[in-house]
Amino acid sequence: MTSRAAIAGSILAFALASAPVSAQFRFDLNRIIDTAKTLTQASAEVSESQEVDIGRQYAAVLLGAAPLVRDPELQRYVNTLGRWVALHAERPALAWHFGVLDSDNVNAFATPGGFVLITKGLLARTRSEAELANVLAHEIAHVVKKHHLNAIRKGAGMQAGVNILGDYVAQGSRNPEIARRLVSGMKEVMLRGLDQDDELEADRMGVVIAARSGYDPYGLPAVLQTLSAMNPQDSGLALLFATHPAPGARLDALDAAMDARLERHAGSARGSAEFERVTRRK
Amino acid sequence: MKLRLFLLLFAFAAGIALAQDAGYAVRQTELKQEPYSDAATAGTLPERAQVKIVARQGGWLKIESASGAGWVRMLAIRTGATDGAGGDSGLKQLFNVARSGSSGTAVATGVRGLDKERIRNAQPNTAELARMEQFAASQADAERFASGAGLAVQTIDYLPAPDSAGPAAR
Repeated sequence: MTSRAAIAGSILAFALASAPVSAQFRFDLNRIIDTAKTLTQASAEVSESQEVDIGRQYAAVLLGAAPLVRDPELQRYVNTLGRWVALHAERPALAWHFGVLDSDNVNAFATPGGFVLITKGLLARTRSEAELANVLAHEIAHVVKKHHLNAIRKGAGMQAGVNILGDYVAQGSRNPEIARRLVSGMKEVMLRGLDQDDELEADRMGVVIAARSGYDPYGLPAVLQTLSAMNPQDSGLALLFATHPAPGARLDALDAAMDARLERHAGSARGSAEFERVTRRK
Repeated sequence: MKLRLFLLLFAFAAGIALAQDAGYAVRQTELKQEPYSDAATAGTLPERAQVKIVARQGGWLKIESASGAGWVRMLAIRTGATDGAGGDSGLKQLFNVARSGSSGTAVATGVRGLDKERIRNAQPNTAELARMEQFAASQADAERFASGAGLAVQTIDYLPAPDSAGPAAR
């Protein structure tokens, strides 16, 4: 079968090289280009309700990997803090949801449509509400810029000529095959990570969103310094380090971007007393 | 002999505890007496100078070094070893084990993983999603919280992307 395909390919290549381009062939080629255009446009036009639907499914997969910490007060606290920070980015009216995952791994995730999850392991390594607010702001930036949809579209979404987002937009997720492919595309993004430039953009936006919300924007570099001081071989960091630029490189990029621009906001709040109480530091 | 091994382990652990607050300068930077750019200069920290981080305030770190003590701009410092923290990971692992074993409050990572394998095998958990959604905060909740915490809203533009032509020319 493979050799038959190869022979067919050779014949086609020979035909293309030698024969004058026939009207029939030109027609087929145009049709292929049109189909590709339609698919690209379809995936570019994910509506907000479709985005939220995709994000809910994405969040459900993450919650299938690790449940929420059974602490309603903590969950309500991160929702209130996160909602406040999200009010200072471009999509304040989105139905934002935040949660703390019961995992000792050090990581945070966003999904399309406004779902943000931070692990208990990363929360334990933040030393102030400002640091936590900066981490949430970084994730909020991913949502605002739809970085995950871009990643599904660019990477996993184009497996074997299948356009996951395009098919989803065209047919919805009631088709089990489309739903299955969507979940596998989401997992692919969780495992491979986003575009590295998108991570650096979320860092640059995150510090500004945190500062707009009244927090010290140096909370994010502080968290990155904490991460880079940790043992890079720590298995709890493996996924974070596999899916993000190294903390040192992120600090270099923030160093260049922040310069002294945000220095006057460095005196902003490091946080409410609630952080200490709810995260049980005291 | 057992005692000697114990002391050796203890020495490793103590050294690493200090090393967690260690860093180095990525460029030559001014050492200030106070955490402000117009504070009196206390000296100069040369590029690659090793420092011990004592405290943080805003964009400044209080450090101790062979060149003296004082405050330096936070982003002039990177944590970890100058060589990229390659060699001492085994010791740090030892330290992690020792710490989590001796104290209930220390965090041991990697115990309950949210690792690649876990994600690959994850089945969507819609009950947990419903739980997450029930904790949502309204805009009014958020505003009440912020006013209680004394958070002052600022108007700030996003930072431009730096030139991709390499590290900051400063």
